[in-house]
Amino acid sequence: MIKLTINKKEHSVDVDPDTPLLWVLRDTLNLVGTKYGCGVAQCGACVVHLNGEAVRSCVTKVSRAEGKKVVTIEGLSETHTHPLQKAWLELDVSQCGYCQAGQIMSAAVLLRENKNPTDQDIDDAMAGNICRCGTYLRIREAIHAAARIQQKGV
Amino acid sequence: MKKRYELPGRTIAVLVCLSSLIIFMNFRFKTQSLNRKAARQSAHKEILLEAAAGKDSAASVKAFAEVYKVLMSPRCMNCHPSGDVPLQGDDSHLHAMLPKRGKDGKGLYAMKCTNCHQPTNLEGLNKPPGHPDWHLPPANMKMVFEGRTRNQLAKQLVNPRTNGNKTMQQLIEHADDGLVKAGWNPGEGRTLPPLTHAEFKKAWITWIETGAYAPSAKKQSGTK
Amino acid sequence: MEKVNSNYSRRAFLRSSALVGGGLMIHFSGLSRFSPAEKLGNIDLPEQWSEINGYVKITADNIIKIICPNPEFGQNVMTSLPMIVAEELDVEWKKVIVEMGPHDNVKLGPQFTGGSNSVRMYWRPLRQAGAAARHMLKEAAAQTWGVPVEEVTTKAGTLFHENSGKSARYGDVASKAATIAVPKDIKLKDVKNFNVVRHSQKNVEGEKIVTGKPLFGVDYTQEGMLIAMIEHPPAIGLKIKSFDASQTLQMPGIKDVFTLKLYEEGFEQGGFDTRTFNELLVVVGKTTWEVMNARKKLVVEWTPAGDTKDYAGGRNGKTERIVPGELETTEKQYQKMREYADRPAQQLRKDGDPETAFKNAAQIIERTYTAPFLAHNCMEPMNFFAHVTDEKALLVGPLQAPGWTEPTLVKLLNLPADKIEIQMTRMGGGFGRRAYGHYLMEAALISKKIKAPVKLMYTREDDMTYGVYRPMYTATYRAALDADKNLVAFHVKGGGIPEHPIHANRFPAGALDNYLAEGWQIPSNITTGAFRAPRSNFNAAAEQSFLDEVAEAMGKDPIEFRLELLKRAKEKPVGKNNEYDADRYAGVLKLIKEKSGWNKPENKKYNRGVAAYFCHSSYAAHVVDMVMKDGQPYVERVFSAMDCGIVVNPDAATNMVQGAVVDGIGNAFYGGLKHKDGAALQNNFNKYRIIRINEAPKKIEVSFVQNDIDPTGLGEPPFPPVFGAVANALYRTLGNRLYQQPFSVPATDKRAF
Repeated sequence: MIKLTINKKEHSVDVDPDTPLLWVLRDTLNLVGTKYGCGVAQCGACVVHLNGEAVRSCVTKVSRAEGKKVVTIEGLSETHTHPLQKAWLELDVSQCGYCQAGQIMSAAVLLRENKNPTDQDIDDAMAGNICRCGTYLRIREAIHAAARIQQKGV
Repeated sequence: MKKRYELPGRTIAVLVCLSSLIIFMNFRFKTQSLNRKAARQSAHKEILLEAAAGKDSAASVKAFAEVYKVLMSPRCMNCHPSGDVPLQGDDSHLHAMLPKRGKDGKGLYAMKCTNCHQPTNLEGLNKPPGHPDWHLPPANMKMVFEGRTRNQLAKQLVNPRTNGNKTMQQLIEHADDGLVKAGWNPGEGRTLPPLTHAEFKKAWITWIETGAYAPSAKKQSGTK
Repeated sequence: MEKVNSNYSRRAFLRSSALVGGGLMIHFSGLSRFSPAEKLGNIDLPEQWSEINGYVKITADNIIKIICPNPEFGQNVMTSLPMIVAEELDVEWKKVIVEMGPHDNVKLGPQFTGGSNSVRMYWRPLRQAGAAARHMLKEAAAQTWGVPVEEVTTKAGTLFHENSGKSARYGDVASKAATIAVPKDIKLKDVKNFNVVRHSQKNVEGEKIVTGKPLFGVDYTQEGMLIAMIEHPPAIGLKIKSFDASQTLQMPGIKDVFTLKLYEEGFEQGGFDTRTFNELLVVVGKTTWEVMNARKKLVVEWTPAGDTKDYAGGRNGKTERIVPGELETTEKQYQKMREYADRPAQQLRKDGDPETAFKNAAQIIERTYTAPFLAHNCMEPMNFFAHVTDEKALLVGPLQAPGWTEPTLVKLLNLPADKIEIQMTRMGGGFGRRAYGHYLMEAALISKKIKAPVKLMYTREDDMTYGVYRPMYTATYRAALDADKNLVAFHVKGGGIPEHPIHANRFPAGALDNYLAEGWQIPSNITTGAFRAPRSNFNAAAEQSFLDEVAEAMGKDPIEFRLELLKRAKEKPVGKNNEYDADRYAGVLKLIKEKSGWNKPENKKYNRGVAAYFCHSSYAAHVVDMVMKDGQPYVERVFSAMDCGIVVNPDAATNMVQGAVVDGIGNAFYGGLKHKDGAALQNNFNKYRIIRINEAPKKIEVSFVQNDIDPTGLGEPPFPPVFGAVANALYRTLGNRLYQQPFSVPATDKRAF
């Protein structure tokens, strides 16, 4: 049994410790907001927070998450009002939407570490997340918008 | 701390000029550097004495040729890039998604090395190789390998100002550093460095102990 | 007010109308109920719905639900199609609940996402559905109040009778309305009075997307569901010789390993029944990771399949096609294309006497363009859930063409169509790939075999190496100039594997006295399919790059040159069957010229490339502004002009065009799948480069031509001309033209990064 803390809730899962966290989230715990895109840490669809860092759950063995705090898109904000979620809706960023959870989870680390990111900072933080629909311009805008929301506290 | 490392740098600067006139090699450690006060206090002393005792420019340069082959192999060079983005693959292309070095060499924001590079390798092709301390050299000490000639790299390696503040003893020990050794455990589908780790370590120590001579800037042969 | 007739259609008619791709009619279904599709969402809704017609359901509590008939893959139809209903129904958009409909051709029409069809084929039917429902509600109120229906008015979901001061919410009369006959003549709103359509509305699933709700096929689960994966041959042209699954079966969680035939010998395939491998080696287990792991332990011996036969059904009976068994290699494919290009080809169109004109020409410009196979690389890999029993089948997942998939399922499962339920999930991208439902068939057969609910999962590697690519294309363009540098003849000869890309009746056909178009094709076992306007996106790269070069040779501005040709096509068109409207085509060029500040001195710092193209009844033009960044060409800014008629949801349409521009830049620079001995050389994103945020432009300014033409295509039309505009900007950036896609220029100076 592996003990995990996901979105502030404790879980005990009976899986091979080498199982990627992604599949424990999706198949075992039915937290399917975290997506499978490539399985080799190339696309960022599977980004979750592990002790606050934007790890790629498709290559993160569940054993690495033991005793650490995992946050997924479902738990990014209890009320679904994280500045990024607000900004994403305000700018209507999504097309197919499949990559957006990963985009938001990556952007959340950027915004935490850099309250007022420049376009270059956004590129540096977000180039690991592929959006096949090409919504990058809105992602960029939404991160700027979220930074403003975060600063104003609204 | 800082002061301790200033000395060898100055020493080198002086000696480069002196020695290059006399001998074929344009750089080496000399025994007289040991007379300097700071060096006496440091761990350099023993090593340099040893090196001096066994100094052999030809053997040293020969050993470095082997060392150089390894350091310029993708497994070492890819994390010692000339820019701020690591390299990737056996062809040392720019790392996909352009992760940046960051101040501490550990990446930036959502693109920190260990977000993908796990404590251990993962089974399967194309998976990020693993090590608990995966990182690049920090921004204030980039320790670039890419594009360095033998001469440049040798000089860079023995100079604490450019080698990560390492003493000669620490340099020797660095051969057994976990991240260095990870080069010989690169994960599926990646070629190994051209020497075994044991061969590399032997060449590395030989190079240092025989005087850590840098090959001539002019006469270069073999691999780039 | 316009008047149109609604029609009452039988299933058979709808099917045939879906196949011819136009003239859609709808059937209003009176009181029949839907099977609830809420399963996938988290909407907690009452069940007491009065179904006014197939698209509109209302509760007594005045909750209004509009059903989206067409699969959603990011083109925003789940918002834009219900908006059309809401407009005519006259309800407050913000209070409407939108739900994806089940697969039901009778109630919901052809249900096909592709060919930039969704809005244009549903535009009239959905307006009629909304208007009919509104009329039925008015009728119900009139009967309840005992007043003439003409005196009943509506506003934002409420019915009024002015004279008596009576009012009622739609919900109050919904159950009565559901019993009223569908009106024969339906009055539609004047487009000038639209207050939902033409006003930007947010994606109805936006919140679910950003909070990680289960929306996609891969997210679907059911009690007792197993996971299946297919180990397909490592190369196209191979098949299984033998396999040993003993180690696999010992792996934890593994239930079964077996082979299965997709189509029986002689099976008549429909147009979307494309499949690359017929014999499936299936691994079934409890969880995705367990199956992924266990697959690695399979010991399989593969052998060349040799030439095989495919059979196509159709009006003219069964036709046979030989699928060559060669294990193909990219370099050899290019070589073969060069050989074929020199041979005589099929004439597709000829105007005037091009041969003589070329013979007498003072100057001939001839250029050859090539483009590789492209993989769709939808972010959500192919997958489908299936639960097939002896009596019925439930299939849930991402699919663009349920209507075309169902007949094949009927044959494969030997079940009647009404026992097959297909639920359409939101798709993580499609781009044409999910029109080919082989993965759904595979899932169904696997479920039937193991007698359990199962989700078939493709890994990224399975997905990228499976086939169904954008074809490989080439075209040689020739232009003849006279001594005064007038363009006197034009010749295009295009070919490809396995089809040629030429649209012979498109621009510049119609604008030139002497014109010749020819095509040839090379059969191949590499499967291909739709890819965001597959032929057009190649043509727009080649032709638009060539026209630029011709303009330069003629000493003309590239936009003026195109406008002159279009003027000719408008005033004195050559030949017949010209597909495009020269005015609308010129319209987007004029708009882009204005919006981009073409030839304005302040834009001189950019290397500018322009291109325009027509497809799917719409017109698109782009001006791409390129600079060198980090030693590489970078598209910093783009201006886009679109004419797609009435724009239903302007902000979402803008998003779509911006996405098409980014996708176009990405594919122009990096897209391309190579083969060696039948094996795809790229199997994941580390080898198949996808454009990333740092490579995307800083700004894409989109302008729409304002007119009242019924909506035309939008998903595809802005995509093709991006390739041409990029090619033309690259010429100005690099000083030389690139003729072979992809255009990416390797980084010369890594230190720049």
